[in-house]
Amino acid sequence: MKAYLDNNATTRIAPEVLDAMLPFYTERFGNPSSFHSFGSDLMEDIEAAREKVAVLLGANAEEIVFTSGGTESDNTALIGATTINPLKPGLVTSKIEHPAVLETAEYIKSKGHPVGFSEVNNDGTLNMNSLESFISEQTGLVSIMMANNETGVIMPVAEVARKAHERRALFHTDAVQAVGKIPVDVRSLGIDMLSISAHKLHGPKGVGALFIRKGIEIPPFMLGGHQEKGIRAGTYNTAGIVGLGVAAELAVRHLLEENGITGLLLERLEGGILERCPGTVIAGADVERLPNTVTILFRGVESEAVMTLLDMEGICVSSGSVCSSGDESSSYVLSAMGIDAVDANTALRFSLSRYTTGREIDYVLEVLPSIIEKLREISPYANP
Amino acid sequence: MWKYSEKLMDHFMNPRNTGQLLNPDCHSEVGSPQCGDAMTLDIKVDDEDRIAEIKFMTFGCAGAIAAASALTEIAKGKTLEEALGISNDQIVEFLGGMPEEKYHCSVMGNEALSMAIDDFRHRRDNTAEHLESILREISEDLAAAIGNGSISIEHVHPIRVSVRLSGGDDGIVTEVLEKELQKRTGKTVKVSVTR
Repeated sequence: MKAYLDNNATTRIAPEVLDAMLPFYTERFGNPSSFHSFGSDLMEDIEAAREKVAVLLGANAEEIVFTSGGTESDNTALIGATTINPLKPGLVTSKIEHPAVLETAEYIKSKGHPVGFSEVNNDGTLNMNSLESFISEQTGLVSIMMANNETGVIMPVAEVARKAHERRALFHTDAVQAVGKIPVDVRSLGIDMLSISAHKLHGPKGVGALFIRKGIEIPPFMLGGHQEKGIRAGTYNTAGIVGLGVAAELAVRHLLEENGITGLLLERLEGGILERCPGTVIAGADVERLPNTVTILFRGVESEAVMTLLDMEGICVSSGSVCSSGDESSSYVLSAMGIDAVDANTALRFSLSRYTTGREIDYVLEVLPSIIEKLREISPYANP
Repeated sequence: MWKYSEKLMDHFMNPRNTGQLLNPDCHSEVGSPQCGDAMTLDIKVDDEDRIAEIKFMTFGCAGAIAAASALTEIAKGKTLEEALGISNDQIVEFLGGMPEEKYHCSVMGNEALSMAIDDFRHRRDNTAEHLESILREISEDLAAAIGNGSISIEHVHPIRVSVRLSGGDDGIVTEVLEKELQKRTGKTVKVSVTR
């Protein structure tokens, strides 16, 4: 028996997605940018995929730029938006963003731009007062993730977008973990730019997209050919883009029904763990979270030891911290939530998908309690 | 997943010498605030200065638990001086190797061991000092009975001591002396006599 509960790391590729992709690795290997129809016909497939991604986000097709994934989308948005207006070079983001945003923000800061990192509250929600304190007339871009990858806590992006717009700043959101799990509509949320990644929603790895609202012009991040109207150079990853399109289409089709089921399975998992493993705490228990994500602190028991034992039983989960060098710090997300290093090192993240089954959840509930018990017996923090 | 050796996995899955000792001779607690790992060590030392019993508790990854288990196995039966000489390399070798990124896990055990031994020596020094002052008093109190005999310290352990009475009158009953010393030191006392 196996259980894959690490879908925030990556998801299984949907069979429909793979089927749609395969021809582009065989007979239809052409370059969509070629003059001849063998290649240029493929532009229709690219555009069809663009339309599907647009539908998923409530955007227009022309507002979708294909990239190599979430990281490139974030880099393009952040670096681009902080360079277009020399009077507004500033960036405001939060302490719990994905490294693709955090490291890019540090880079922008190192280039002399004002960059602010908003605090979060102890429940994992954004601290709006802190965020607002960083937004100034110099701020050109506010970037806040739509949902946190570790806790699943959903951020108030519509409100943040309003605050950004009040100061004439653009708003970007890293929606890599949210799209496909909760309904997203860029118009009603007031989003200017949004990053997605195909492999987080049952698409292939190495492809993603950046939504750029019509009217916003940012410089390219990847320099080279004239693909994507010059915004993103590089030969089209045709198979990947087609795969992302199908993944987006499936996400639209499954969104409500799927998340209902995923939500129920997550409740079963959470309830079962809280009942069978005393001394466990859910991070962000009382706030709105993604229907597929939960981070649980197994107090007194170090997470990597638990993961090692779970791995032997065929169960895949993850933690925000891996003990690898001695000076390794624990999860910066949990630390920003005011959780101390010892407790943060007891955190395990379980993330489900539409392929998660009740049997997998039950298997985890069967295996996990004795593992926790076994490690608690030898832990000096067993009775905190 | 880390590539762990079979022996390391065995010590992780079935750690030896876990738990705590009732009335240990010494105890240590170490923690690494950065990575959050922590460990406790309880030790009983025999009169030959050897580690007779040793138990640990660890909050840490598989490498940390296995390294602590290995350390206790290596240290058991060693004199304190020998135990202080246990190196991290020895622990890693004992476990059949360890991923390089995990070497730091083995350091915590050594730190705990040297702290526990320090604790033991500190307690022993305190006991010795206390005993010496008592012996000075008692020699005066019992001067008449001991006569020209003298009491010397044979062995000091934090919870038990042995002294030797040389010379003195036959009338001195060692039991009486033992009782008196036990009352005054709060330790188990053994008195032997040389005449």
